[in-house]
Amino acid sequence: MTSELIVLIVGYVFGFYMAWNIGANDVANSMASAVGAKAITIRQAIFIAGILNLVGAAFIGSHVTDTIRKGIVSTEVLTDPHQALIGALSALLAAALWVSFATWRALPVSTTHSIVGAMVGFGIMTGGFSVINWDKLGAVVLSWVISPVFSMLIAFFMFKVIIRLILSVEKPFTRAIKLAPVFIGLAIFVVVLSFLFKTPLGKKLSVQMPSALLIALVAAALLGWLGKLALVRFAGDPAVEGEEGIFRRIQIGTSCYVALAQGANDVANAIGPLAVIYFLVKTGEVGTKVPVPFFLLLFGGIGIACGIAMAGHRVMDTIGRKITTLTNTRGFSVDFAAATTVLIASKMGLPVSTTHAAVGGVMGVGLARGLEAVNFRIIFQIVIYWILTLPAAAVTSMIIFKLIQALY
Amino acid sequence: MRLPFLSMFMTSPFDGLEEHAEKVKECAWTFQQAVECHMSERCQRFEELRKEIIRLEHEADAIKRRIRGHLPKGTMLPVDKFQIFRYLREQDAVIDSVEDALDWISYRSDPGIPKELHNDFLLFVDAVIDPIDELSRMVIEARKYFQNYSEGQRAVVKEIIRSLRQQEHNADKFEDIIKEKALNMKIDPVTVFHMVRLAETIGSIADHAENAGDMMRAMVAR
Repeated sequence: MTSELIVLIVGYVFGFYMAWNIGANDVANSMASAVGAKAITIRQAIFIAGILNLVGAAFIGSHVTDTIRKGIVSTEVLTDPHQALIGALSALLAAALWVSFATWRALPVSTTHSIVGAMVGFGIMTGGFSVINWDKLGAVVLSWVISPVFSMLIAFFMFKVIIRLILSVEKPFTRAIKLAPVFIGLAIFVVVLSFLFKTPLGKKLSVQMPSALLIALVAAALLGWLGKLALVRFAGDPAVEGEEGIFRRIQIGTSCYVALAQGANDVANAIGPLAVIYFLVKTGEVGTKVPVPFFLLLFGGIGIACGIAMAGHRVMDTIGRKITTLTNTRGFSVDFAAATTVLIASKMGLPVSTTHAAVGGVMGVGLARGLEAVNFRIIFQIVIYWILTLPAAAVTSMIIFKLIQALY
Repeated sequence: MRLPFLSMFMTSPFDGLEEHAEKVKECAWTFQQAVECHMSERCQRFEELRKEIIRLEHEADAIKRRIRGHLPKGTMLPVDKFQIFRYLREQDAVIDSVEDALDWISYRSDPGIPKELHNDFLLFVDAVIDPIDELSRMVIEARKYFQNYSEGQRAVVKEIIRSLRQQEHNADKFEDIIKEKALNMKIDPVTVFHMVRLAETIGSIADHAENAGDMMRAMVAR
């Protein structure tokens, strides 16, 4: 067995482990509001999250994969295939180790941040500080601040709109049914746009901006209308559930949307470095752009789904019991804000964290006075771990790099 | 397990408010029993009931401190944090006044309340019991309002506040009657003072309940 093959196998193992961790850790963030608002049961959440993360990873997830690697670390470091191989492997290992440590110590870190940090560490080891594209790194760091803020704004306005247009009117249930196509349509609109611009399939269709908008608009209108018909049919008893019942049903849809977005966004964390390893081993070189093969994305998606299936239950159970003040209108606002933020950010090629988008969404609803008690100071704690994650993953990655280099 | 998503959700102060209002309601019943007991010749349980009120007041105090102690800086609530504190102070003052009234009776249990005033005091106590009872309903309904932000629900809360105001006004009338009677009775002046002050203390129960209603009105303002 050649050493390359061993590296590839180790790469697969750690890539899978990383994906597993993403599933185990991040599923909480995408499904938390739905489970907390009792829109879906734990079992349903695991099922939806598992399937849709897999679908999102496999079919939408290729755009981001090369951006993480290419953007932050200059491709100079990849000119030496031997170095690049060690680098990619140590980055993957370091990120996986750091995420495991974080899981063990229950630290709120993001898998996205870990892999970015590990990549930076690898870049510094091979090419010194000059290979790091500080502007890009700065943009990424900035996007971590922007994404919760952006998500917060969306959630804030969404909940304010819900209060103004639905909750405070005389017959909120009737109004909710009436406006349901708008809310469903909005979600569909973002999904269709991101599908057209981000997925390999969408790119093949090569639809330009004005017509893409038109397609998204038509799809939103059509599905929004169909959604309304379905709601009227399955609306439940207005006296028992009221307008929250309508949003409970819409929220099932938005949970799917979040899971899809998350799969698309996060699969890159596990598969990015693995794709580099794969290409180095297969072709002996790696260009500026690594086309990520479909089966790798699928592999990552399966890893995430496994993580969700195995560890998701415990996470969901905790959430379901601890969060009691989140109702469906609030959950919908959080979901919508988080998913939109993640999709827009990954469209722009920024590796944002679903965790932070979800946290931002909850804060937005809190600011709109929608929650009985939200702790805003948690943001400082999260910022500390943001700042900590990058250097920690980078240093781990550097140490592993040295170790492998010595052995190899 | 410490998930960042989870750690944002804190214990709601409304849980505490409800619990506190429940304690206030509990003491309303005991208060009525105690006053009736004091006026009847056979009942020996007055001290026991007064101790019960003291115990309830302690428990309510603990709840109040718990609410105050668990709203750190940076907590986002549907209402201003200090509005909650101010509301809580008034709600707590209700139970304090109940305790004060019983204490005041106990300082001079013999001869106690003159026979001529028995009936007025019974009516007076009845009148202040109603607003105390309303408080817990008001908190529950207000909490519902913060949950669904419906105008109809806001109207329900406002209606309760209005009825609190009305009940306070009713209680005031009984207070006036008692004071007038007491001051014009040909009895020993210490008893007069005892009665006037007792009427004022019992009257303040309804005053604080009304104040609590006013604070709630500020909280549910759009």
